[in-house]
Amino acid sequence: MPTASRHIRLVLFVLAGLACLAATLVLLGQRQNLFGASLTVRADFRNVSGLLTGNNVRLAGITVGTVKEISILNDSTVRVVMHLNRDVQPHVRKNAVASVGTDGLVGNTIVNLTAVAAPAPLIADGDVLRTTTPLAIDEMLQTLSVSNKNLVGITQDLHQITGKLNGSRALWELLGDQHVAANVRQSLRHLAGATATLQTSATDISQLTRGIRQGRGPAGYLLTDKDFAGQMRHATRQLARSTDTLAGTLGSLQRQVQTGAGPLHTLLTDTAMSGQLRQTLGHVEQGTAGFNQNMEALKHNFLLRGYFRKQAKKKAQAAGQ
Amino acid sequence: MSPALPPAPAAALPAPAPGAEVVLTVDNISKSFGDNHVLKDFSLTLHRGENVVVLGKSGSGKSVLIKCIIGLLTPDAGTIAVLGQPVATLGHAALDQLRAKVGFLFQSNALYDSMTVRENLLFPLRRHWLADHKGQEDKLVHEALDDVGLPQTIDQLPAELSGGQRKRIALARTLIVPPEIILYDEPTTGLDPVTAREIDQLIRHVQQKYHASALIISHDMNCVRLTSDRVILLAEGRSYAEGTYAELLASTDPIVHAFFE
Amino acid sequence: MFNGPLFTEFRAMAGFAGRFLREGFRPRYEWLELANQCYAIGYQSLPLVGITSFIMGLVLTLRLRPTMVQFGATSWIPVMVGLTIIQELGPIITGLMVAGKVGSSIGAELGSMRVSEQIDAMEVSGTNPFKYLVVTRILAATLMVPILTLLADAIGLGACYLGINLQGVTSVALFTNNILGRLTFGEVLPAVGKTFFFGFAIGLIGCYKGYNADNGTEGVGAAANSAVVLASLMIFLLDLVAVGVSTAFGFI
Repeated sequence: MPTASRHIRLVLFVLAGLACLAATLVLLGQRQNLFGASLTVRADFRNVSGLLTGNNVRLAGITVGTVKEISILNDSTVRVVMHLNRDVQPHVRKNAVASVGTDGLVGNTIVNLTAVAAPAPLIADGDVLRTTTPLAIDEMLQTLSVSNKNLVGITQDLHQITGKLNGSRALWELLGDQHVAANVRQSLRHLAGATATLQTSATDISQLTRGIRQGRGPAGYLLTDKDFAGQMRHATRQLARSTDTLAGTLGSLQRQVQTGAGPLHTLLTDTAMSGQLRQTLGHVEQGTAGFNQNMEALKHNFLLRGYFRKQAKKKAQAAGQ
Repeated sequence: MSPALPPAPAAALPAPAPGAEVVLTVDNISKSFGDNHVLKDFSLTLHRGENVVVLGKSGSGKSVLIKCIIGLLTPDAGTIAVLGQPVATLGHAALDQLRAKVGFLFQSNALYDSMTVRENLLFPLRRHWLADHKGQEDKLVHEALDDVGLPQTIDQLPAELSGGQRKRIALARTLIVPPEIILYDEPTTGLDPVTAREIDQLIRHVQQKYHASALIISHDMNCVRLTSDRVILLAEGRSYAEGTYAELLASTDPIVHAFFE
Repeated sequence: MFNGPLFTEFRAMAGFAGRFLREGFRPRYEWLELANQCYAIGYQSLPLVGITSFIMGLVLTLRLRPTMVQFGATSWIPVMVGLTIIQELGPIITGLMVAGKVGSSIGAELGSMRVSEQIDAMEVSGTNPFKYLVVTRILAATLMVPILTLLADAIGLGACYLGINLQGVTSVALFTNNILGRLTFGEVLPAVGKTFFFGFAIGLIGCYKGYNADNGTEGVGAAANSAVVLASLMIFLLDLVAVGVSTAFGFI
């Protein structure tokens, strides 16, 4: 083979290899903002959850920069220096909130920038962003647990009250006032409404749990998906609200019964009314049962098992002491 | 005129061309590999235009001698002067310049397997002469091949040639940069008698055409007879006997005599 | 222990490498021969290396797929295959194939040149055979193995892309984004860097074994054989060292 043709082939071969390398380096460089103009912003976190330099910074889910430096300021503050692309400057405002999140189930830790719906000037070099601590699943479950305990207590109270109502003859006589009867009826209607809400939220949670258990959507979805976290929070809050309403209603009912003011009698002789009451209590019971079941399911979910086991251990320790 | 060689028991030296200059002096060299003392105080002198055969048994250090002369090996003691220059003390560049004037025909031919005959011949030409002879390369290659009678093999690979042809090509490669001294390392070993005689004749032809001196290492008595002007018998590491072929043939020394039986 | 044959050999090889460093970077430079060797070692190894890395990329993808489907993580296949190929498989496969093809041929070629006095012939022809034969080959191997590795990586990733598209669908843009999204310079550059050492080891061992071949045709075979064995082993040892160094520098 003529030498010239060999040399041409050799040159092409080498160029092809170098092109591969160059392409990789340029593409990687673009991702890590090595070549573009960037602006530097800072944010101080309490906890960065294993964030590393080089991790991505995202705005509305789009990668807009990288973490350049992480340093500890003091025992409760970690300063994160980020480089953002110049091109996103018009879209980020000074009041944007930074939070640390995760990208997928076993993915990298990332910094999320969230815009706040309030007017503020555009971000500039050297700005310090506000931060939030992301909603941790631990806290969520703790709230849920408290609500559950409340619910159980309330239901027991309700049971006692109905028992008293059924058993005490003197009580029937006290209940003569038409006015009070109307009040009580209204209260009970409130109660029915509240329990219905309670049941709905319990169903919500039940659905979520079932979803998790069936593995619909990888488990990372549970841990990181903002939507789900929101839903969960919403459900918990609703549950808390409905228990509050229930507690309020029952409190007024109890007060009425204890003071003996007004003719509860009328109300209580009304068979339809007592049926309604019984049904309502049935609802409450059902709802609570469902909720308990959900909690149980959550306890068995493999991702959260560890958490509950820890809780149980703590309880056992506390009992031991 | 002719220098006296210290341990030469042989008769008077044959007269080289009158007034011939000395092109190669080997002075009391010794070389040993471990406990094997191959050369012990060996000396020889080569004059311009003279063919000297160094005769010796296999393993008597003949090849070591010429490798010392060309600088591939360094003697443990003694000096070698080629064309007046001490080989052992020359730097790379000077040694290369000197080697351009010395041809070396290897026992195994040492043709480059990966190159054609033409490329084999061009290799020393380009290496020694660099750009000077750019335009003449082709002419020189053809001339050298004509000298050895194988112009048709120019584009063949060494593997395609017969043993005798390979030896001729190797000789052509030795001649392409005109040498003043040619060192032959057992030129006829491994060849059939007919081819060996052709090579012997070629050695004589080269001597006449190029007026080059030759130092021939051999133990083939036919080769010695046909190519030598003077014979040095190498035994026990030193120059044991020296003289013309006829003189040595007439020697009664048992060691000398042993070669001629 | 320090007088054992292994240690003696190792020391001789280190001396050989030292001679390469001393003589290799001084004139006269054998550019033409270097280009020829680059052609022989690099370009002519490409088909072999290309086929092996293509098959490895494809097989790896197809093998991984069932497991990844179980975990519902098919979108991770490009990343896993990409990382495996770029960090380990590409360099190792290339190194081993080149060691097998080139290491043995260098060992055999120089061995037979030594045995048939061609190396001596070069020296008397005004050529430093160490520069002409050894330096060019070591340099060529050192420079060409990285290039071959880069091309092997590209071919392997191409095969991975093909493998994914055999059973599913992905686009080139998504595929590259998937891979690049997980790669960092710290993962790519050491993987490229170590291939220089792979190439150097292949060239050095092949040349050392061939250049110092014992007389006789048997020596040529032994030179070729031990060049391949030692070079292959050396590639794995260097890979181990590379992992250690990368870890020490925090690249992994």
